[in-house]
Amino acid sequence: MGKRKHQKVTSRNDAFAEKITTRIWEEVSSADNPYIAESSRCHGYDMMELMKGCSYIDMFYLLFRGELPSEHERQLLEQLMIGLINPGPRHPATRAAMNAGIGKTDPEHILPIGFMILGGAHLGAGEIESSMRFLRKHARRPAEEAVEMLLKTSTRPDEGDWYIAPGFGSRYGSVDIMQSKVASVLANLNENWKVLRWGCEFSSLLSPHHMGWLTTGLAAAAFADLGFQPRYGAGLFQLICAPGLLAHGVEQLNKPITAMPFVKDEDYVIEE
Amino acid sequence: MSSKNNVSDTTFWDKNRNKIYSKKGGWLIGKGVFSHGYEMMNELVGEVSYMQVMILNATGRMPERRLADWFEAVHICLSWPDPRIWCNHIGALGGTAQASTVAATVAGILANDSRTYGTKPLFDGLSFIQEAMEKSAQGVSVEEIVAYECAKHGGKPYIMGYARPIAKGDERVPAMERTAETLGFSIGEHLNLGYDIEKVLMDKFNEGMNINGYMSAFLSDQGFSPVEVYRICSVLVNSGVTACYIDVCDRPAGSFLPLRCDDVSYQGKSHRVLDEYFSMRQR
Repeated sequence: MGKRKHQKVTSRNDAFAEKITTRIWEEVSSADNPYIAESSRCHGYDMMELMKGCSYIDMFYLLFRGELPSEHERQLLEQLMIGLINPGPRHPATRAAMNAGIGKTDPEHILPIGFMILGGAHLGAGEIESSMRFLRKHARRPAEEAVEMLLKTSTRPDEGDWYIAPGFGSRYGSVDIMQSKVASVLANLNENWKVLRWGCEFSSLLSPHHMGWLTTGLAAAAFADLGFQPRYGAGLFQLICAPGLLAHGVEQLNKPITAMPFVKDEDYVIEE
Repeated sequence: MSSKNNVSDTTFWDKNRNKIYSKKGGWLIGKGVFSHGYEMMNELVGEVSYMQVMILNATGRMPERRLADWFEAVHICLSWPDPRIWCNHIGALGGTAQASTVAATVAGILANDSRTYGTKPLFDGLSFIQEAMEKSAQGVSVEEIVAYECAKHGGKPYIMGYARPIAKGDERVPAMERTAETLGFSIGEHLNLGYDIEKVLMDKFNEGMNINGYMSAFLSDQGFSPVEVYRICSVLVNSGVTACYIDVCDRPAGSFLPLRCDDVSYQGKSHRVLDEYFSMRQR
C-alpha cells in the first residue's frame, strides 16, 4: 500500500460558461452605475406594468411557465394555492416549524426548517416528481386498468398506511376525505383538467380499499394539468405550502417552552 | 387497516400516540443519558472519539478507534476551504448575505445532497463496487464489468468512483492509502477489485480511481452498506463550507463576486407590453 503508481493531477480544462444565463429575468442597468438596475423584466414584461396589471397568481405562473395564464389556468392555480396553503398543525413539516418557534429558534430559520422537512417523500415535496411521472404515464389509460395492475403488484403493509402509488394511498387507515373534497372542486373547474379528472376516478376506485388522493397526488395532478415539468413539482409544492408552515411556526415564538408537550419519562421507551 | 363494520382500525397509530419508542437511547432524567446501551457520560465521554460516537449513532455499531480515525481523515479530504466548490460557494454567499454561521453551513451541507458530488454519490459508489464484487464472484471478468457499465453511457467511462470531474488524477487517494497503511489496514477484496477496474480504465481511457471509488471499496471491505455510509457522512462537507462562509462574512456585505446587471446574460423573450396579452385574453 502507498507504493502504487498514481495518475498525476491535471486540470481537464473544462469549458465553463463566462456568464450566468437566464430566460426568466432581465435587468437593464442604469446609465451611471452598471450594478444598479433601472428596469426589470420578467419573460419580457416590465415589472412596473406587471405590478399595475397582474395578480400575484398571474405573476407566479409567468415566472415558472414563461407566459401569463389563461383565465382557466389562473383559476385552477389560485384555488390550488388556497387548497394547499396549510399542510396543517399535524403535518411533520408544520410541527418542525412549530418546534423551532417554541424553541426560540431565530425567526428567519423557521421557514427553511419547515421546508427541509417538507422535502420528505411522505406527504411532502419529495414525492411530487414521482407522482407527476406516475400520473403522466397512467392517465392516458383507463383508471380501472391502473387500479387492477397496482392491486396485483402491491401488497398492504403489516403496519402503517398503504401507499399504492406515488400520491395515492391511505391516511391512518382511511381515505383522506379533505383531499378528495379539494380534488373534486379543482377537477370540476374545467373539463380540460384531464389529469385531475383521471385522478378522481382512480381515487374513487381505490376507496373500497380505504385509499384515495393524498395531498401530494393532488398537487402533482394539478401541476401536470397546468403544464409544469415534473422537476418543478417539489419546489412548487414547498412554495404553495409555505404560508401555513410559517404561520404556525411564528405563532409559537412568544409562548413559553412549556406550551408544547414534552413526552414524560414513563412514556419514553428505550427498546432493547 | 379498516375493520369490516367500516369503522377504521387505528390501533397502530393509537399505540404510538403520546409515546416514543427508541432503539437508539435517550435522556432518562436523574438516571443518565444512554446511547445504544452505553451510559454516555461514564462510558463514552473521554473514552472514545467523537467520530466513533457519530458512527455508533449512524449505524448502531461502535467501530474500533482506528476505523473512526480513518473516517475523520476522509472528512478532511472531502472538505476544503475553496469557495469555487458548489457547497462552499453557497457558504460564501451566506457570508456575503450576512446569514448566520449555522444557516450558511447547513445550507452548504444540504447542497451536498446532490447527484453530482458529496455524500449522495457515495451511495452509488458503494452500490457499484458491491454489485461488481457479486458479478466477479459469479465469474464475470473485470473487462466485462467495465464494458457493461460504459455501455450504459454510450461507451464513455462514467462509473461512479472513477474518472474524476474537473481534473484527472486524485491527490486524496494516495493520502488515504497512506493513512490506511499507518492505521494498519490491509487491502481487502473490494479494494483489490477497485484497483483492477482502475487498471482497465487506465489502459482503455486513461482514467483512474477517484476518492469516491477508493472510499467505496475500502468501506465495503469494512462491512458497511451504501446507506450506512450515506448516513455516517451526512455532514461531510461541513468544515469547508464554514471556512468559506467565515472568509466572506468578515468582509463587507455584498462584496463576494458582485455581479453587474450585464454579468447575467438574458436569453429570454424580448421586451413586450402587457396590453397585447390582455387584448388576446379578451378575444
